[in-house]
Amino acid sequence: MVQFLVKRFIGLIFVIIGVTFITFILGYFAPGDPIRELLGNHVTPQVYNNLKEAYGLNLPWYQQYWNFLSHLFRLDFGFSFHQQNYPVWNILRDGVPVSTELAFWALLIQLLVGIPVGIISALKANTWVDTVNMGTMLVLFALPSFVLAIFAQVLIVNLDNATSGSWPVAAAGNWNVGQYGWNEIQVKLAPILVFAAVGTALFARLARTSMLEVLRQDYVRTARAKGMRERSVVYRHAFRNAMIPLVTVFGLSIGLLVTGAFFIEQIFNIPGIGQQTITSINNRDYPVIQATTVLLAVAVVVGNLISDVLYSIVDPRIKAE
Amino acid sequence: MDTKDQDELASPGVMSPDTTLSPLTIEKEITDNGTVQVIGPDQEQVPVGVKPKKTLTPFQESLRRLRRDKRAMVSLGVIIFFILLPIIGPLIYQHIGGTYNSAFQGSIGPAVYHNPFHGELDRQDELFSGQYWLGTDGIGRDLFARLMQGLLVSISVALLVEVVDILLGITVGVLAGFYGGWIDQLLARFTDIMFAFPGLLFAILLTGIFGTQADTAFSNIPIIGPNGNARLLLVSLALAFTAWPLMARYVRGQTLQLKEQQFIEAARTSGTSDLKIITRHIIPNLFSIVVVASTLNISGTIIGEAGLSLLGLGVQPPGSSIGLMISDASSGGNLQVHPWEVLLPSIVLTIIVLAFSFLGDGLRDAFDPRSKD
Repeated sequence: MVQFLVKRFIGLIFVIIGVTFITFILGYFAPGDPIRELLGNHVTPQVYNNLKEAYGLNLPWYQQYWNFLSHLFRLDFGFSFHQQNYPVWNILRDGVPVSTELAFWALLIQLLVGIPVGIISALKANTWVDTVNMGTMLVLFALPSFVLAIFAQVLIVNLDNATSGSWPVAAAGNWNVGQYGWNEIQVKLAPILVFAAVGTALFARLARTSMLEVLRQDYVRTARAKGMRERSVVYRHAFRNAMIPLVTVFGLSIGLLVTGAFFIEQIFNIPGIGQQTITSINNRDYPVIQATTVLLAVAVVVGNLISDVLYSIVDPRIKAE
Repeated sequence: MDTKDQDELASPGVMSPDTTLSPLTIEKEITDNGTVQVIGPDQEQVPVGVKPKKTLTPFQESLRRLRRDKRAMVSLGVIIFFILLPIIGPLIYQHIGGTYNSAFQGSIGPAVYHNPFHGELDRQDELFSGQYWLGTDGIGRDLFARLMQGLLVSISVALLVEVVDILLGITVGVLAGFYGGWIDQLLARFTDIMFAFPGLLFAILLTGIFGTQADTAFSNIPIIGPNGNARLLLVSLALAFTAWPLMARYVRGQTLQLKEQQFIEAARTSGTSDLKIITRHIIPNLFSIVVVASTLNISGTIIGEAGLSLLGLGVQPPGSSIGLMISDASSGGNLQVHPWEVLLPSIVLTIIVLAFSFLGDGLRDAFDPRSKD
């Protein structure tokens, strides 16, 4: 177990170094001179060189990368190019809670809706319930999240017209973290539901497959043969074992949440980390881009690590490997 | 996690080793003096009038399974329609309709007003009409013409991405699977990083940072350059770069399996060179897995291109892409007044994406029955 964890952790560090390297290289070779853009038209060679030295941009690339890395590990992301004198840390501080809240509710809905739908489908396999469930989930899974978001927007517009303008169409930056009054629910409901959709479908499909597999096992047949009630067979014997493979999907769903965040936040105008990334890309604000990219990638990696660890806890057989 | 259906297993697909008894076939052997000698069942033993039972190769069996899959066949039809539409459609559409008295340009023919880049500013946000079959957008451009242009963009990007994806995936995957060693290690580490790096994030970064540069660099290339399409090359490259590690991993797994098969061993013992084993015996056997994986990847690619264009990182105005149509139509309160303009590209995109996933699922079920869930 310890050996497994250590191995995974070394892998994690390796991946993080790779991700930061890609991010750094993209920023390093990015067109345009950030110092020149920073200074605008008032450039004297003296000022230019001083500033370049202050940002450490006159060093060779490996030293720049080393500085970038060492700053990163101290959680020092530097200053934004676009909003001068505004630390990147503050930008993250504004965006991360918003995105985390969005992702938290989405993940909760994915688990609470997806798994039961999958289990019900498996128990009623090849009936109309199963067909309807899985048909819906297949469509949800295949649909791009931004199309779903657009459909939701059209629905909200109609709702807004029907309630004579009392339902806000876009969040318009009106995202109050941790508050759940009626106004906040109006703003938050649609993005969260859309955000949850893809993952819900993923969990439902895998829960169904996994449950079907378990129901075919010998120990389920034995339990039934002993005359156990169907309810106990399903909940005590089958359900628990069917959940084991789903733990591995957890990491995958974190990845889905991260990529989904760009579109959901952009379309619903939510000031989270996805929108900040897009804005900073449009502004060529490299320190912010690098910080958000590393953060999102680390979120995915840590999600994968958590699911690996959980897997080794719930399934003791993995220790042997 | 794949469940095994007993009766499904009985008929092996291409991807599984054929363990069933192969029927007697006529074998030819070239004798020393160059004549061909036929060895096989005696022709006279087959009664006249009774047709010998036709045997199918695993590949033909898979094709038959695919043909029986209604959902996959309908999807295939839809896909063929949406590939032919943007190629043939504009040629016909630009000749349909009479002359129109434009408020700005005088008398113009359908070749002008059915051009995806031509706007009639006094004909904004119209619904269907004889002149504009699917209506017009916010600056009076023909939605049908723009939709076809957008589809052309989607399909070209998908094609380009798949070509790069397949070439890179097969090359690296086969080398890693066949030789193992450092190239395998490198692939494993690299795919670890690429899987951790959300694919779209990478594409967003690449197109966002180098986008304007690509615009100026590629805009002089004929056909793909003008009309805001210059960035598509970059978009395709970015999408292919995020897609190929998965393909390489599939190919590597399949190669590892094939390497242990007896026919490879036989080829090796008879002194066949590695290159010949790879090109003659391994790559042809990768066919089904590559087809399945790339079909499933196409929907992701089409979504990726539309998404990047939606975020303003793909096709630039005045060009047309499904994503750009969605973002044009949904910006600035347009959604409230003209939901049709945003629903049209969204619905078309949905249909295409679903068709490709259904076809991919169908192909997987047909070529690899064991993976059916």
